[in-house]
Parts: sequence; structure tokens; C-alpha cells
Amino acid sequence: MMPRRKRRLASRIRDYVRGLLAFLFSNVGVIVLVVAYTIAGAFMFQAIEGGSEMALDKQMSRARTNISQYLWHNVTLALNLFNETEVKERISSELVHYQSTIVSAVHKGWDGGRSSRQWSFSSAFLYSLTVITTIGYGHLSPKTDWGKIITILYALLGMPLFLLYLTNVGELLARWFKCIYALACLCRGCPGFTKRRVARLRPQYELSEAESIERPPAWRGSSDVTPEDPPPRGYDRRVEYYRSMSAPQRAASPAPRAARRGLSVPARRSASLSSDFSYVTFDAQAITVPISVCVTIMVGYIMFGSMIFGMWEKWDQLDGSYFCFISLSSIGFGDFVPGERVYTARIETSFIVCSLYLMLGMALVAMCFNLMQEQVMHYFAGLQRAARRVARCRR
Amino acid sequence: MMDRHNPLNASFHGSMRSRDSSSTVGSDAREKIKDCFRKFIAFMFTQVGVGALVVCYAILGAAGFMHIEKDSPDEQLEEVRRLRLNCAESLWNITITDNLFNETAWVLKVNEVLKVFQNNITAAIHTGYNGRSAEDIWSFPAALMYSLSVFTMIGYGNIIPKTVWGKITTIAYACFGIPIYVLYFCNMGKVLAQSFKWLYITAHECSRRDDTLFEDGEMQPVKKKITVPSTACLWVISFYILTGTIMFGAWEKWNYLDSTYFCVISLCKIGFGDFVPGANIADSAGGSHLKLVINFIYVLLGMGLVAMCYNLMCEDVRVKVRELREDLKNCLDDITLKITVCMNDTKYYHQKNSRNVK
Repeated sequence: MMPRRKRRLASRIRDYVRGLLAFLFSNVGVIVLVVAYTIAGAFMFQAIEGGSEMALDKQMSRARTNISQYLWHNVTLALNLFNETEVKERISSELVHYQSTIVSAVHKGWDGGRSSRQWSFSSAFLYSLTVITTIGYGHLSPKTDWGKIITILYALLGMPLFLLYLTNVGELLARWFKCIYALACLCRGCPGFTKRRVARLRPQYELSEAESIERPPAWRGSSDVTPEDPPPRGYDRRVEYYRSMSAPQRAASPAPRAARRGLSVPARRSASLSSDFSYVTFDAQAITVPISVCVTIMVGYIMFGSMIFGMWEKWDQLDGSYFCFISLSSIGFGDFVPGERVYTARIETSFIVCSLYLMLGMALVAMCFNLMQEQVMHYFAGLQRAARRVARCRR
Repeated sequence: MMDRHNPLNASFHGSMRSRDSSSTVGSDAREKIKDCFRKFIAFMFTQVGVGALVVCYAILGAAGFMHIEKDSPDEQLEEVRRLRLNCAESLWNITITDNLFNETAWVLKVNEVLKVFQNNITAAIHTGYNGRSAEDIWSFPAALMYSLSVFTMIGYGNIIPKTVWGKITTIAYACFGIPIYVLYFCNMGKVLAQSFKWLYITAHECSRRDDTLFEDGEMQPVKKKITVPSTACLWVISFYILTGTIMFGAWEKWNYLDSTYFCVISLCKIGFGDFVPGANIADSAGGSHLKLVINFIYVLLGMGLVAMCYNLMCEDVRVKVRELREDLKNCLDDITLKITVCMNDTKYYHQKNSRNVK
């Protein structure tokens, strides 16, 4: 009795530990980890960089005082004051000089004294987010030596973390999205329902199978040459199978193109005819979502973002979508940055929504990549089959 | 689209050729030709082919962006000039209207005017004013760097499109360029990883030959698959960054920290754009092209190296995790075995005792 109970306890502890680890390295844990890492980075950069901008600000105000002194001494006092054009020319040339000073100062990160503090918490948060997501807007960049060193280390540690987040959340979103897609577009989300439905449809299918014109010739041809080259994986075959099977109900389905794929029949067709269809499992995860849907989602997300940002920042539609695209593709030029124009009380919300938008958007992009990759591989397999068929026909 | 057509093409050509020569050699030659085509396509879609594709795409993009952006009207330059003239005008007004013998008052007023001017200039800079005209900015080298920074997703942001068409083209260019770049990344990573692995294994075996010579007969069948350790990858990358540091530091007169910072930020694809080699290159027209080409190659090769390290480290980590898991499993099994044995022993002992007592 004793050893068994003890082992059970040990296994239970092991399960707990495993569960904890799995939690930490999956969805929620990773999200929490990323957010915590970003917040920590925000505090760190704020502490490091906060001091340096004051120095630059002082330096700029000193430069301004210098030039007005210079104007006083060298222009107003030295020149003939009744010659307007000459004075203006002189002042203009001085201003050109001053202007280049301003340009170089702004490129060094000076903000024109418009906002009291550039490295506020929200902007530091956005900065660390742009580092780990590799967007890198560059409207804020570290000026101190320590800031640069810490940025390098922070990026080296943060990027794998964010990659982990992307793969995890992308996978999760892909799974959910497939379920939703199956539910909404194919009307056969839950496994039990589909099973029943197909059970109902089966007799029809078997009847219509003989005169099915939907079936491509590859299928007929390949069934007798399969022994020499077994199919690479289940799915190419599965689709063909399903294509012929779904023919009777196509009229009812809202998206006829999408309805072609969706059910999984893992076994061969020959087996399917002999056995009593009991092996048929319907899994929402075996669905491949068409590329057009993924693209639509991305475009919709970008449009949504452009609407939000356009409302806040007074950008037009093109600029808004340009900003969203550049951000989500992690290019990040930094010519448009949220919160740059609006120095009002709203800046906090704008930053938070922006960071949420970015994190979710990155995950959505990862999701779409996941789905599209599946679909492309699927196409590619079909293509391979077609090529093989062509080669065989010509023989 | 390309890879959709090519296999078909290849097989089609193969069959055409085979019909010509079928009377003599038959399927043998046909197979050979098919093989040739397959190899050619495989070549086109690997190493050199993808590299050439990326370079061509970059050059094409550079020419396109140059064409689009060079004609953009210089509204901002005009705007800034107007601002400056206004400022001079107001300064003149101050000089005329005010008492000229009170220095502090004059300086104060001038300071105010200058502050307004400064704010205006800052706003102009934030909307993209650079102090240079579009034709200066969009030189060919700079445009090349721009297209590179778009499709590698670095996005330095020192040069940005200002026209509407420039923006639209950038989006389209990125849409097509990023998959090409990813293809390059994967291919280059695989190839470099393979060659580096081969190098490493060769070196490894050379160095270990003397030690394991006597037990070679026993070692051979249970020889473990060698994976390149992560540290080796890190050494390679840090060496590459060091090279870049010294190179850019010498060219651009940056100090070593800035130079390292630039290299890391570039290779990580963050690309803040506070340090960009192109900025200086665009200024000097003379020997800039060689520098630019080397710069371009540095970034592209660096991306390949990063991909290689990513590949190798993934493998290494996977192997390590598997080993760790096996170790843990063995350990746990050991413990459970020990516990059961111990318990059984005590049980047996107790039984024995009780039997003895009886």
C-alpha cells in the first residue's frame, strides 16, 4: 500500500511541476513574461536615459542664448542699422547656422522642449517593446553609453522571448481561428455534429461517387499506381476525397470555395470503402484555411488600426495604414509614431492601446503565417502530384 | 507563381526532349535531362539563385524608389526657408521698434522669437525635413540601402518616402520582398549551417583522432551524432560583429561602442536609424560605391550568419533538451525503483519479522 501511495504522490508532484512549467512556457505564462519583461525594461531605460535628456535640453537653451548674444554684438551693434536688407541677410545667414544646429540636435534625440519629459514611462515602455519586437521606430534611441550597452543586452535576451511568445500565441490563435472558421464558414465545428452529419451524407456520397465529375483524373489514375510511390502525407489525398464527398451539399454552403476542404479522413480511400467508415474522425485542426481569408484578416486589422490611429493622430487613411503596415511587418521607419503629435492627457491611453495593438498584431501576423504556410504546403503537395501526373501521362 | 510553373515546365521540356531522342536511348536520356532540369531549378531556388534574386530585387527597388521619390516637390525646403525669412523679419522688427540701448530686453525678445523658430523647425524635422533636397537624399546608394532596409525589415528610417505613391509602392514592395527575403534567410541559413557543421566536425575529428584512436573499433558503432555547440555559433557571430565594428568605426568615425551598437541593432533587425552608414555615404560622392557595396554585403551576409546560428542553435537546444529529458527520466526511474525496492525490502523484512514472531 505504502509504495503505491507514495509513488502516486510523487507523480502528482511531478504533474504539478510539469503543469506549472507548461503554463509558464505556454500562452498565459509567456504573455505575462513578455509584459513583465517589457515593464522591467521600461523602468530600466527610464532610469538610465531620463537624466541625459535634461543635459541636452540645457545645452540647447544655452545655444539659443549664445546666438541671441551673438546677434546683439555682431549684428545690431556692429552694422549700420538703417540698411534693412543687409541686416536681414546677415541675420538670415546666422539663422541658417542655428538651424543646422537644431537639426543635428534633434537627430541626437532632442525634442524641441515640447514635451517636458521624453522618457516618460509610457514612451519607455513603447521603446522596450519596439526593441524586443524588432520594430525599432528610432524616434527614441538611447543616448548614453550605458543605455546602448543595456539595449544590446536587452535585445539579445528579449528577442528569443518574444519569438517564444509569437510561436505560442500564434499557434493558439491559429487553433482558435480554425475552430471559429470551421464553425462559421463550414458549419461543422464540433466533432460530434460533423460525425453525425457525415453519417447522414454517406449514403448520398456513395451513390454519387460513381458519376462524380468533380473528381480530378489524378485520383483515378493514382489509385492504381500508388504502390510504387506512396503518397507523402494524408492531406493531399484527403482533400480529393473530401472534394467528391462534399459535392452534394455544396449548394447549401455559403462559401463554396472554402467548403472544399475541411474534413479529415486520415486513412486511404481503399480502406475507406472496405471498412464501415468508423475510422472517420473530423477534426477542426485538420482544416486548412484559405490564404484569401488570412489576407482579409490582415487587411482588416490594418484598416482597423488605421482608423484608430487616424482618429487620434489626425492621420489620413493612407498614412494610418502605412503606419500600421510598417509597424506590423516590423520594419518600423519611425516617420509616423503614435503619441508623437498628441501631447495631451490622452497620451497614456494612446500608448497603451498602441502597445496592445502591436503585440496582438504581431501574434496575428504569426497566426496568418502559420495558416498560410499550411495552405501553401498543401498547394505544393497538390502541385507535385499534378506534375507527377503530367510526367506519367506523357510517357 | 514561379515555383508553380517551374516543375511543370521542367517535366514538359523533359518529355519534349525525350520524344526526340526516344528512338535511340529511350528513358535513360530522358531521365538524365529531367535530372538536369531538376538540378537547375533546385540551384535556382537555393544559394546563388536566391542570393541573386535578392540582389536583383534590391536594385530594382532602388531604381523604382529613386524614380518615384526624386520628382517629389520640395515643399518642406520651401517651408523652412519661409520660416527662416519670417524669423529674420520679426528680428528686424524688434530691432526697429525697440530701444536699442537696452541689451537685456532686446536679447530677451530675440530669445522668444528664436524659440518659436526652433519649435517650428523641430516640427518640420519630425515631419521629415532633413536639411537636404529630395535629389540629394535619393541618390542610388541611399535608395539601395532604403530598399534593403524595407525587405529585410530593418527599417532604419533615415530615408522615408514622402509621396503618396512612394508609400503605396513601399507597402507593395514589402509584401513581395519579405517572402523573398525569408526564402533567402532560410536557404542561406541551411547552407551555411551545413557547411559550418561540416567544418566543425572535420576540425573536431582532426583534433580528437589521437585520443580515440585506440578505442576506435568500439566507438564507431555507437558514435554519437555531433551537433555544433551554441558557444561556437556565438563565437562566430561575435567575431562577425567585431569585424563590422572595426570596419564601420574606421569608415564613419564612430567610436567602438556606437559601431558595435549599430551592428547589433542592424543584425537584430531593430534598426533605430540613429546611426546609419548611408548618411555619410550619400554625402561623399567619390569612393562611396565600394563602401556601399561592402555595406550591403555585410548586412545581407550577416543576416545569413544569424540564420545559420539560429538553425544550429535550434538543433543544439533540441538535442540538449532531449538529453535533459532522458536524464530526468532516468533519474526519476532510478528513484522510483529505489523506493520500491526499499519498500519491498522493508515489507519483506516486516513479513519475515512477523513470521519469526509467530
